[in-house]
Amino acid sequence: MIIFKQWRLWVSLLLLIGSYIFIKPNFDSQTSDSKINFGLDIQGGFSYLLELNEEEYLNNLLVKTSQYIENTYSISSDIDNGEIVISKNQNLDALTNIVIQNLGLEINEKSDKENSYIFSKQSFNKSLSDMTLNAVEIVRSRVDFLGNKELSIQKVGLNKILLEIPGDLDNNVKEVISKTAKLTLHLEKNNIVGSKTFINEETGEQVRVQEIPNITGDFIQDASLQYNQNEPVVAFSFNKEGSDLFAKMTSENVGSRFAIVLDGSLITAPVIRESITGGSGQISGGFTNETANNLAIILKSGSLPTQIKIIQEKQIGPTLGQEGVEKGVIASIIALIAITLFMIIYYKISGFFTVITIISCLSLLFAMMSLLNTTLTLPGVIGIVLTIGMCVDANVLIFERIRENFKHNIEDPKNHGFNSAYVTILDSNLTTLFAAIFLFAFGFGPIRGFSISLIIGIISSLIVTYIILKLFINITSIKYLGLQR
Amino acid sequence: MINFYSFKNKSYLVSLTLIILTIIIIFFKGLNLGIDFKGGLNFEIKSNLTTNQLNEYFDFIDTDREVLIKREVGSDVFSIRIESGDNNPVFIEEIKNIIDQNPDIEILLSEYIEPTFSEELIKNSIYALASSLLVIAVYVWIRFDWQFAASGIFALLHDVFVAIGFMSLFNIEFNLTMIAALLLIAGYSINDTIVLFDRLRSLTSNEENKDNFETNVNNSIKLNLRRTILTSFTTILALLCLVFLAPVNLTEMPIVFIFGVLIGTFSSLFLVLGIVGDLNYEAVLKARDS
Repeated sequence: MIIFKQWRLWVSLLLLIGSYIFIKPNFDSQTSDSKINFGLDIQGGFSYLLELNEEEYLNNLLVKTSQYIENTYSISSDIDNGEIVISKNQNLDALTNIVIQNLGLEINEKSDKENSYIFSKQSFNKSLSDMTLNAVEIVRSRVDFLGNKELSIQKVGLNKILLEIPGDLDNNVKEVISKTAKLTLHLEKNNIVGSKTFINEETGEQVRVQEIPNITGDFIQDASLQYNQNEPVVAFSFNKEGSDLFAKMTSENVGSRFAIVLDGSLITAPVIRESITGGSGQISGGFTNETANNLAIILKSGSLPTQIKIIQEKQIGPTLGQEGVEKGVIASIIALIAITLFMIIYYKISGFFTVITIISCLSLLFAMMSLLNTTLTLPGVIGIVLTIGMCVDANVLIFERIRENFKHNIEDPKNHGFNSAYVTILDSNLTTLFAAIFLFAFGFGPIRGFSISLIIGIISSLIVTYIILKLFINITSIKYLGLQR
Repeated sequence: MINFYSFKNKSYLVSLTLIILTIIIIFFKGLNLGIDFKGGLNFEIKSNLTTNQLNEYFDFIDTDREVLIKREVGSDVFSIRIESGDNNPVFIEEIKNIIDQNPDIEILLSEYIEPTFSEELIKNSIYALASSLLVIAVYVWIRFDWQFAASGIFALLHDVFVAIGFMSLFNIEFNLTMIAALLLIAGYSINDTIVLFDRLRSLTSNEENKDNFETNVNNSIKLNLRRTILTSFTTILALLCLVFLAPVNLTEMPIVFIFGVLIGTFSSLFLVLGIVGDLNYEAVLKARDS
């Protein structure tokens, strides 16, 4: 049998078996890493795009770097307009070029009196990006503690975080992610110099305290919702270092007040009655169960490096997505049937080969999407429809070339026709493929969803036309191809 | 046989008219920018109320913010677009709570975009578009000659630009999904064009072929004519299914794409090879022969 001599037969079988193996996990109940995920626009859910404040981070970094230079090299510096300004009336020998480079700084301006430095773009971006990765973990743990299991969270760009949660809206999520959660403890201080007044926005209580915090929330190890005389309170405990600081602060200042400040506003200002050595405390102040629980969650997850702003918020009800999918699937099936009927009527047997090619193309596409754990969105579905179009186009190009060769009595019309058509197909598909790759790299949201299915689709289409369609053309005598007319 | 090449001057005129019309339409009507590019709040709601009733209902929103209410064709779904203003986060929560309490309205989708982020999205989309166009130009230039690259890119820009005019004319919302539709048109256009380029190149590089340039151009088009028509036909067939069956908020995309396919077919049949000819590709061929 001539068919068994075709290497394409064995490759085809391999492709089909491979596709089956990789598509199968999608239908298993257990979770797997190689499955197609559905985007929120298909399964419904809500998402937030968060942006960390770049300017605030720059300022924090400038202060930190300036302090580091002071502590390590005893060189004092000022911060002015995003620059570190170092006066030349001190010994600057320790500040070698290598030191400056390691700090991520580069010289901005030099004068007789002073040098000013800024962060190099590269080092700042790297640092910003690391900070965001760190913030991703904090946000993840906050949302995790609320009990949202299937969340997807990723860093986008340099300072953005995309949080997507399928299912019904949980209002607590917005509550816990939008708080920076900088908790600080300040001792009361009545001098004007170096002090600051914090106000409780709800009760109007205010207290003048030392501006620089005595203890920060960074030392908090754990926090939880508890009840004190049936009133919800947030209980927290410090780690070793924090416990020592807290014990020292309370034992030295029995009788005076201290303020518990969260993100710049006063929560409560209790009087220290005795020294607290156990390293734990309670915050009370008109909480509900929900607000106390949310505060406990953000305290134990740690504070975010900067303020966070929600720059995109989306909530998709399940009906819209469901309706979209059902309609989309029906539309695709009807489109597929219409195209295949047309191809069979027009090209007879060859049209039937096209149908098989399209089906193989789709199964290879879904197999690759599963393998790569791709997220399928509605624009992605449109990308798939386009892929089918390109696959049909490839078939038409090949059939027309073979028909033309046959008409002009060119030798070996099948092979010759296929090969010359395939060059054209490669040229046109590769152009689209490269464009799609760039789109994927630079695009956002729907554009990415669209380009990923286009990329995978073009590759599948190129493979199946070369292997499976060619196999069918090879094993069918030209008389039966249905192309002579 | 139709002499496509002889039509080229008339085709230029048609194409020029289309471009001028597009400029005029965009100048007077502007683009209906969605919240992706303008920032603001967008709701898709399901409701038995009429557009007028909804307009009255949404009167409670302060007058500084523009509210646009549009019924999606042939459904009880409305799209409500509210301009961004001061203190957006608080405003969103308030308005969601108010709408949630109305038994006549079901929120299907709500989306909010901060204006600073939409500016970034515009920049982002331009980068994405520009870089993919550039890569197409480079690829065509490497595989063919610069005349082909120039002509292909012109046709592609022409098709995409006229499609934008079409969107402006029919007040179709311009958003990120539409950028994807425009790219689809770009992809389709360049595909069509390259198939012709390939044919012309193989005809002109055949040493036994003594036909003149005009005949070669006409033959390239003629030999591909059936393929061009078949492919456009099957693509439009598939898209028509999508128009009637796509979810309500996505019906506009296939409509724009159908227009793109038509305009793309026009430009590949009547424009691209004419431009290659007028860029004096014949001289390149002659130089190669001698």
